[in-house]
Amino acid sequence: MTEGEDTPFTLNGKPAVAHPGETVLSVAKRHGIHIPTLCHHDAVAPYGACRLCVVEVSWGKRSKIVTSCIYMPYENDSVETDSARVRRVRAMVLELLWSRHPEVEALRDLAGEYGVEEPRFGADPSEAPNRCILCGMCVRVCAEVVGQHAIGYARRGSERRISTPYGDAAEECIGCAACVFICPTGALHYEDVGGLRLMKELQTEIPLASCRSCGEPFATEQQIARVQERLNLPKEVAETCPRCRGTQHRRAMEKVLVTKRS
Amino acid sequence: MKTSPISTPAQLAKLAASARKAFLAPKPKILVGAATCGLATGAGRVLDALREQTNGKLDGLRVLETGCIGACFLEPLVDVVMPGQARITYAHVTSEDDPGILDAMAEGKVYEKRAVGRIDAEPFLLDDVKKNYRRGKFAEDVRKVPSYEKVPFFAGQLHVAMRNCGYIDPSSIEDYIAKGGYSAAAKALTEMEPEQIIEEIKTSGLRGRGGGGFPTGRKWETARKAPGDVRYVICNADEGDPGAYMDRAIIEGDPHSVIEGMIIGSYAIGSHEGYVYVREEYPLAVKRLRLALRQAEEMGFLGDNIFGSGHRFRIRINRGAGAFVCGESTALMASLEGRVGEPRAKYIHTVESGLWAKPSCLNNVETWNNVPVIIARGAEWYASIGTEGSKGTKVFSLVGKVNRVGLVEVPMGMTLRQVIEDIGGGIENGGQFKAVQTGGPSGGCIPSEYLDSPVDFDELTKLGSMMGSGGMIVMDDRTCMVDVARYFLAFLKDESCGKCVPCREGTARMLEILDGICEGRGRPGDIDLLHELSEAIVDGSLCALGGSAPNPVLTTLKYFSEEYRAHIEDRRCPAKVCRALIRFAIDPDKCTGCAACVSACPEKAISGEKKEPHAIDQTKCVKCGVCVDACRFDAIEVKQGSETE
Repeated sequence: MTEGEDTPFTLNGKPAVAHPGETVLSVAKRHGIHIPTLCHHDAVAPYGACRLCVVEVSWGKRSKIVTSCIYMPYENDSVETDSARVRRVRAMVLELLWSRHPEVEALRDLAGEYGVEEPRFGADPSEAPNRCILCGMCVRVCAEVVGQHAIGYARRGSERRISTPYGDAAEECIGCAACVFICPTGALHYEDVGGLRLMKELQTEIPLASCRSCGEPFATEQQIARVQERLNLPKEVAETCPRCRGTQHRRAMEKVLVTKRS
Repeated sequence: MKTSPISTPAQLAKLAASARKAFLAPKPKILVGAATCGLATGAGRVLDALREQTNGKLDGLRVLETGCIGACFLEPLVDVVMPGQARITYAHVTSEDDPGILDAMAEGKVYEKRAVGRIDAEPFLLDDVKKNYRRGKFAEDVRKVPSYEKVPFFAGQLHVAMRNCGYIDPSSIEDYIAKGGYSAAAKALTEMEPEQIIEEIKTSGLRGRGGGGFPTGRKWETARKAPGDVRYVICNADEGDPGAYMDRAIIEGDPHSVIEGMIIGSYAIGSHEGYVYVREEYPLAVKRLRLALRQAEEMGFLGDNIFGSGHRFRIRINRGAGAFVCGESTALMASLEGRVGEPRAKYIHTVESGLWAKPSCLNNVETWNNVPVIIARGAEWYASIGTEGSKGTKVFSLVGKVNRVGLVEVPMGMTLRQVIEDIGGGIENGGQFKAVQTGGPSGGCIPSEYLDSPVDFDELTKLGSMMGSGGMIVMDDRTCMVDVARYFLAFLKDESCGKCVPCREGTARMLEILDGICEGRGRPGDIDLLHELSEAIVDGSLCALGGSAPNPVLTTLKYFSEEYRAHIEDRRCPAKVCRALIRFAIDPDKCTGCAACVSACPEKAISGEKKEPHAIDQTKCVKCGVCVDACRFDAIEVKQGSETE
């Protein structure tokens, strides 16, 4: 899909061009047009699940709603990123998410921008409150960036949730916490306690390794092994914590500079 | 009969001639409808008993299993063929009838007690011939049995897709060949160019029978033209609509027809690998399909050099694990790949990038099954059936509050009224027609004003419903349309994969609102909110499940808005279905005090003196309605309003 020619189309009434394989979301970004997203992240493949980035495409009198993070424009498409129909879908998506996750402030702010003052639906009392909006970024980062596939989705429909296999500690998890860092709503956490990295939402505990220089635990053993292997680092570099590495690096540089000056 | 592999059309023709001779041999034959529908009503016991009792009774008698001929309301069905006589259909047969049937056969008579119809000639649709069973005049008792053309259920039907269901033994490839089977594949692979086949399918006007109604020929053409060497052919047999079982019946009754269609399709688009994605909940279909695939391989219809054409094609079976959404093409392909069965956006069509990102041509069971007919009889013949925009026939599963429940196959363009009244025999128990739901759970409910609309892809869409895969659920005046909408939405909410927000969260919230309305908690703004949610779900959902999920709500709101208003404004369920809005009461004038209801009531809510009128304690009553069924004097009434008088 990346070969071929640019596709001219119309974006919010003005001529625009999509490079081969480029989505409407990406073109809009280049043109400084903001399209809100919840499940999009440049580090992972587009997923098209949150439906917040929808835009309206029309050809003459016909129009339809498409997902801008996936949709690659065709020639003569006329794309509107903020039409009334688009705003209606986004407002409802936000209202639905807000009602389910009232504690996620970002959703309330965004919903406010689309005129949602208060969700008209009560949160289902049978569902425990949680911050996870199922954007799937954690699942994708684990699979695509880390390459571990330690988490996925369990159940379906409104019972869907992020889970390790069978809800047990994930053997595949290397405790890198990429899922925690990428999570946009703070639904996942980790804590380093007593030589262990605890990831309570994922029922996983992984032993931490200590820095060979300062002796402080700084990453999990598997994570260090993975980084060393992937970046082909010398063992002593991989097993040194970032702070000590920085110090060592600075000292080495100082040495070089001092030598050069003298 | 052990046959050697077939490598030329001439060999097939020779085999077909001998198979047909054996098929029509003047020997007694008993066919027992042993599809899932038949087995569910006891066909297995009938079959066992027949086999036990036939020992030596009739010379050369064969007792065979066959598929479903569609008349499910008459099951278990047993058909008897005696040399030189019309084929007689017996309905509602129990194992107790078996000796009677066998005795009647021995005497050359009709077992009148169960006879419901007769078939005078065996149809060979692919060759356009009919072979008469009978020779000479009918006996008196045979003449008394109406011919199928005069049996209302069959009179308006045209069996094309179901051409072999109920006629052949689905476990016999020879039977299929006797009926002209695999001759279309032989013709296509040896006499036609792939482009010619695609042209033929395009001219026939065949549209996808799985629900989308996309022109099959165009789909094949795109798949053929898609770049790359590897292409896949897929049969979608993940039939999941509640109350719909067309595809199951076709696979159980005529598995080779699907395989033959796929062989022709594979040659036309240039594919060497096919998959049938069939739901695990169809064990008999899986079993028969598996056997059929093995037979087709043994005969050389699947393999490396089919009919000596050099075409190579094989089919594998994949069993679905029970997710409705896996009937959606992209979810199905994800599941085939071993991933979670979740749809993706189809901005790039699966015919260009589908299974394992290769061009993939997916068609439904009934679509594949129609292909051999088009090749054998020609596109013109096929296109002569049906309407301008919808050609051929369509199998519907006619279920619900209708007198004659079953699978009916009619030419496109027949009106809903003809299907429901003429074939289906109208509403059961003399009730009034209220609505028909077409197109499965995400179809719509069509009211009586539109009963004269034709069954046609575009006409049904115009009414806010759809053809879907062929579900047709008839509802009577005792059906609450709000409750119906709630039922279908509950199904779809449960089956939503949960990937995208509008479908996952939106259907759940819509269901809560509908639950509220049915439970007497409806609020004035509910109807507007349902409309608003529907619009966002239709527009915003990722796949067709969400995109059509609000249909049952939207069509009932459109055609039955007064029922919604009665629930919301008056706290009244006009059909007296919603439990929170009704109460049961005993009419003292009719009650004889027999106490039948007392023992039936699971909540011990009914009490009274013997032979005196009884009464229901409303605080204990759970409104299950068991007492109504138990009462022989029609003394228990359902009243509006939940409070006591």
